[in-house]
Amino acid sequence: MRAPAPVDGGGHSRSIGALGERFFLQIAAWPALIVMIFVTAVPFAITIGLAFTNYDLVRGMDGWRFVGLDNFGELLRDRQTPIVIVNTIYLVLATTFIPTIVGLGLAVLMERSFRGVGIVRTLYLLPIMTAPVVVALTWRAMFHNDAGWINYGLSVLGLPTPVWLGDPTLAMPVVIIADAWTSVPFQAILILAALLTVPRELKEAAAVDGAGRASTFWHITLPWIRPVLLVVIVLRFMDAFRKFEGIQQLTGGGPGLASTPINLQIYNTGLYYHRVGYAAAWGLVMIAMIAASLLIVYLVRRRWS
Amino acid sequence: MHRHARRISFISITILLVGMVVAVVPYLWIILTSVKRQVDATAIPPKIISPLSFKSWEQLLDGPFLGSLGNSVIITVATTVATLAIGVPAGYAFARGRFPGRRFLGGWLLFSRMVPPVIFIIPLFLFFNQLRLTNSYLGLVLAYMSGLLPFTVWMCASYFEDVPQEIEEAARVDGASRARAFLTVVLPLAIPGVLTVGVLIAIAAWSEYFIPFILGGFNTTPATVGLVNFVGSAVIDWGQMAAASLTLVVPVAVLTLFAQRGMLRGLSAGAVKG
Repeated sequence: MRAPAPVDGGGHSRSIGALGERFFLQIAAWPALIVMIFVTAVPFAITIGLAFTNYDLVRGMDGWRFVGLDNFGELLRDRQTPIVIVNTIYLVLATTFIPTIVGLGLAVLMERSFRGVGIVRTLYLLPIMTAPVVVALTWRAMFHNDAGWINYGLSVLGLPTPVWLGDPTLAMPVVIIADAWTSVPFQAILILAALLTVPRELKEAAAVDGAGRASTFWHITLPWIRPVLLVVIVLRFMDAFRKFEGIQQLTGGGPGLASTPINLQIYNTGLYYHRVGYAAAWGLVMIAMIAASLLIVYLVRRRWS
Repeated sequence: MHRHARRISFISITILLVGMVVAVVPYLWIILTSVKRQVDATAIPPKIISPLSFKSWEQLLDGPFLGSLGNSVIITVATTVATLAIGVPAGYAFARGRFPGRRFLGGWLLFSRMVPPVIFIIPLFLFFNQLRLTNSYLGLVLAYMSGLLPFTVWMCASYFEDVPQEIEEAARVDGASRARAFLTVVLPLAIPGVLTVGVLIAIAAWSEYFIPFILGGFNTTPATVGLVNFVGSAVIDWGQMAAASLTLVVPVAVLTLFAQRGMLRGLSAGAVKG
């Protein structure tokens, strides 16, 4: 049934218009908020709740109950816990600082000696934009023991050819090398952009005062780009915790647990072994680790500035 | 002294060239492997060059991968349009002034950017199952937004902040409503930035693996997840894997060439502001 047209249609729409005018910013912002509540806040709340249950994917809704702090007690006893946490710290530190230092070096070289910076920059953007799963599978082929290009190159040079993907001590370095292929260019490009903002007069003045290149870099350039360095380090931190397919499709977290960091462990626990409650407890550990690393960054920043 | 400086620049150019080679070699592997005869693709020791063969491409185009490539296109377009439609106005609201919930929304967006999807994915899987949103495009687009929406809101806010408020006020003095001033004055000025954000969303959605790996299903598998089937535990088909990878890489390479200027700003989004 159609409602009769309002007699005073103009007034009605004018009041809606006035409301829209008054609350325009809320109306613009709230759809985003509603979606975020639906896809992040609610799941996050559920994760917190699940961490205190024995919820299991196979049993489903039947037979789950609150188990208090049992999951956390198990975490403390679990022999995998220290391995996974050490792996995570290793991975986060290595994939943050190695690419930052190498990237800084490349950026300095690009800034001072190359005319074709534009071409190099375009070339460096490509690995950053390439789907991580493609990167992981390609490096898996490159690292293949017999048919891979890396061992072929090493054997041509007469060097030893390690079993890259089967050796527990090499699994993590393999992940770090494949990661560096995208994260070194990432750091280099952003640091180069910062280097290009260092005022030329500042460096010239230092040179006039008799400072050498190294000294100018240490006392003028580095302090100038310090805020950007902090930003790119935080970005790497955040990415390191996200890194999933780069490990799952490259080493599968193995051999054994040799290259399993916390996010892969959460996935394995929850969706492979179906122990959702225990996986949620791992999830809270991960959030604590992220919070701790951000706190450290914050403290460093306060000391530096 | 002069000779010394020259030697340094020789060394640094060498290092940069080595860096470029390292950047290119994996692409070279992909391109060459996709057009090798299949016996040569897995030869021991590897054959870098082999007779040209398009067998891998033929098989790829006959197989189910083409369907997952189509899924990728659908998911990418839908995610880009939906995220921009919701995120751009929110970015504007953030750039301009105060409204209730702004602090909360800002804090929550920052938090969601910091927390990896693995934290959200299992509960999302559970209640998407209840709502029959797993194996649906809508479910995937919503899940993709968990990471992309915060990014979009920040980036757009920073572009809108660059638009001088006076221009907008002038339009409103002339009688335009806020919505009208936004659509006809502010948005056109910020459109290059918004388009760059759109390109970055599209690339991120196109490359996403983790979310569809868990929430996708038979009918909605995108190419990133389909790709993995070529290197399963039973069969390894590097030829098709390489060809499939190339279909994922080429569109992104083209977009990167066109949008690289704005990308620099996008790379550091979320850490500079927020």
